[in-house]
Amino acid sequence: MAEKEERLRRTMMFVPGNNPAMVKDAGIYGADSIMFDLEDAVSMAEKDAARLLVYEALKTQDYGNAELVVRVNGLDTKYYADDVKAMVKAGIDVIRLPKVESAEMMKTLVKDVAAAEKEFGIPVGTTHVMAAIESAKGVLNAPAIAASSDRMIGVALSAEDYTTDMKTHRYPDGAELEFARNMVLHAARAAGIAAFDTVFTNMSDPEGFYRETRHIHQLGFDGKSLVNPRQIAMVNSVYEPTKDEVIKAQKVIAAIEEARIKGSGVISMNGQMVDRPVVLRAQRVMKLAKVSNLLDEEGNYIEK
Amino acid sequence: MEIKTSAFAGTLESSDIQIMLMAGDNGIQIDLESDVIKQFGAQIKHVITTTLQQLNIDNVKVRAVDKGALDCVIKARTIAAAQRALETTTPAWEVL
Amino acid sequence: MTAQVVEMQLNNPHDRTQWQHFLTSLGITNFSAREVDQIDTTLGLIEDDQLVGTGSIAGNVLKYVGVCNLNSRPGARFNQIVSALVSRLFQAHIFHMMVFTKAKYSLSFQHVGFKELAHSDEAAVLENGSPDIADFVRQLPSITNQDDQRVSAIVMNANPFTCGHRYLVEQAAAVSDLVYVFVVATDASLFRTAERVKLVQQGTADLPNVQVVSGGDYLVSAATFPAYFLDSAASAIEAQTTLDARIFKTQLAPALHITTRFVGSEPTSRTTAIYNQVLQRELPPTVSVQVVPRTEVADQPISARTVRQWIQSGNLTKLNQLVPPTTAQFIKNNLSVLQSRIQEGMKINGN
Repeated sequence: MAEKEERLRRTMMFVPGNNPAMVKDAGIYGADSIMFDLEDAVSMAEKDAARLLVYEALKTQDYGNAELVVRVNGLDTKYYADDVKAMVKAGIDVIRLPKVESAEMMKTLVKDVAAAEKEFGIPVGTTHVMAAIESAKGVLNAPAIAASSDRMIGVALSAEDYTTDMKTHRYPDGAELEFARNMVLHAARAAGIAAFDTVFTNMSDPEGFYRETRHIHQLGFDGKSLVNPRQIAMVNSVYEPTKDEVIKAQKVIAAIEEARIKGSGVISMNGQMVDRPVVLRAQRVMKLAKVSNLLDEEGNYIEK
Repeated sequence: MEIKTSAFAGTLESSDIQIMLMAGDNGIQIDLESDVIKQFGAQIKHVITTTLQQLNIDNVKVRAVDKGALDCVIKARTIAAAQRALETTTPAWEVL
Repeated sequence: MTAQVVEMQLNNPHDRTQWQHFLTSLGITNFSAREVDQIDTTLGLIEDDQLVGTGSIAGNVLKYVGVCNLNSRPGARFNQIVSALVSRLFQAHIFHMMVFTKAKYSLSFQHVGFKELAHSDEAAVLENGSPDIADFVRQLPSITNQDDQRVSAIVMNANPFTCGHRYLVEQAAAVSDLVYVFVVATDASLFRTAERVKLVQQGTADLPNVQVVSGGDYLVSAATFPAYFLDSAASAIEAQTTLDARIFKTQLAPALHITTRFVGSEPTSRTTAIYNQVLQRELPPTVSVQVVPRTEVADQPISARTVRQWIQSGNLTKLNQLVPPTTAQFIKNNLSVLQSRIQEGMKINGN
């Protein structure tokens, strides 16, 4: 696990790497993570130009608090090495490797990232990585992939290639993804990293998008990959905590505070000991409540 | 450094700039088309010129069609066009 | 959501129908085979499964560019499709391109970097990239104090170079300090461009003040004057020759100090006859037009077409009456090659 404190990753917005208008505006929609794409969204003739464009944008543009991710070209392409070097030099937060099928592939990336950090005088370990899982093999190896490096921050399921590999395609009910979703999610949870669900591309079916988002929220995914900024508010509304959840979380937080003041090593509530998962969930709910604008200045729940 | 072949980078879409480089023998000559040439023409040319100088390209004809590009986009497109004109694939890390 | 650029296959019935319906809705209706067959690449702009723009490439010429601006920022789709077409050409290492468009779209093309070469009330021709017309002029031979000299010009396809062409050049050479003979650059004739240029050079080698050069993309080229190479309506010929004449008048003549254009009178070819009329209407007073009557042999005007017909039949007995010795020698040496080109479908009855 690469981080001490968990950050919110409800939305990871894809931005085509060779489109200056979209690269420039990527920060204004409030996505938790912004993923600049050097892979599928860029034609072969423009790979060099996209790499330079994203590089210069990362060096000069302010994307606020968003986590900045770059999807580099695959390990087996001639673009991969320069993509990784340029993005490390630019100071990217996370490098996302596509088509990951084994822990060894992530280890190769981590080795290349470390070499680039040394070459460009960046503290070794600064750059995080994540894996996109897009095949049957990748899904079956997900636990090892998720645990492959302490630079790992997450795994993402990418359904387009995966369903092709499985000799099927995407259906509205998502039954074809059930095993992969659970596998990727369990791998992420066991390794203590984030799990991202796949994109939903049919913009003319908002009902389908909500149905899918509610489903992956219920399963326990951290969030979803997105292709359109309009989907950000939709995902956030699904991830918004209920009033009951907020009230409950506030009580846990109060109990933590009380224990701190008493100097007690044990947090208790209603005579019961509060253990670590409950604390973490309460912190996450409060974080969600805050970014969902559910709290007033004193931290009280705002009645709707 | 002399360029080996004509080359271009960038598009004519909003917020982009299309940069075309051709062999020249009289310094860096820039022919710029932009809707905001009065306000930003000098700045756009400045970014192109400095970037080319950093790449040691001294003699080149530049045709640039600007669609409201930020400086970082102008720089990225100029480097991309220059790399293509020099027929190099490895990025000039020291200039980035 | 921005539109996606896709390749369209005009030989695929679905794509062809979609393309043609879309352009028809924009008022573009000429889908004759001779226009459409020239197309190398067609791109489409797709948004929400709808075709909202298209453009094509034929050689280095953009064609059939049209966009629908419904639900879109004006100009965005036009810029996107033109940008994609320009990128395609650049990637194919074609760095000079032209477009022949309705006059009202000239400004749109100028906004994306094209430069207007000439326009009429209806149409405009623009170019982009390099080498451009200034580069074209710069590489032409010149003489000292050219601005004070008598400079004239002739444009010919010379398919092949005949005694009639020779007579025209002699008339010009006799009254000029410098004669530019621009040979049509488009390679769409029985005699290849390199062969035509060589025969004109050989046939005028004894005239020291004659410079034989290529007409490039600017004089009777497939880009500016496609009707010269394809049987076309008189209105199309009129529109295209007007632009061709204006490029000559406003761009080439001033840069090269050309004051006289020599043309042969045209008793047989309709296209060339219209071209001559348009030149006489457009060029004066900046450039005077001298019409030299066709030389005749046995009461028949000398015609390159007759020469081509003789090549087809193989009857070369009277060849020396129509062409200079250099051309005659070339024909005799290459008769079978020329005949096989005709057999393979090269038309010999046009220009």
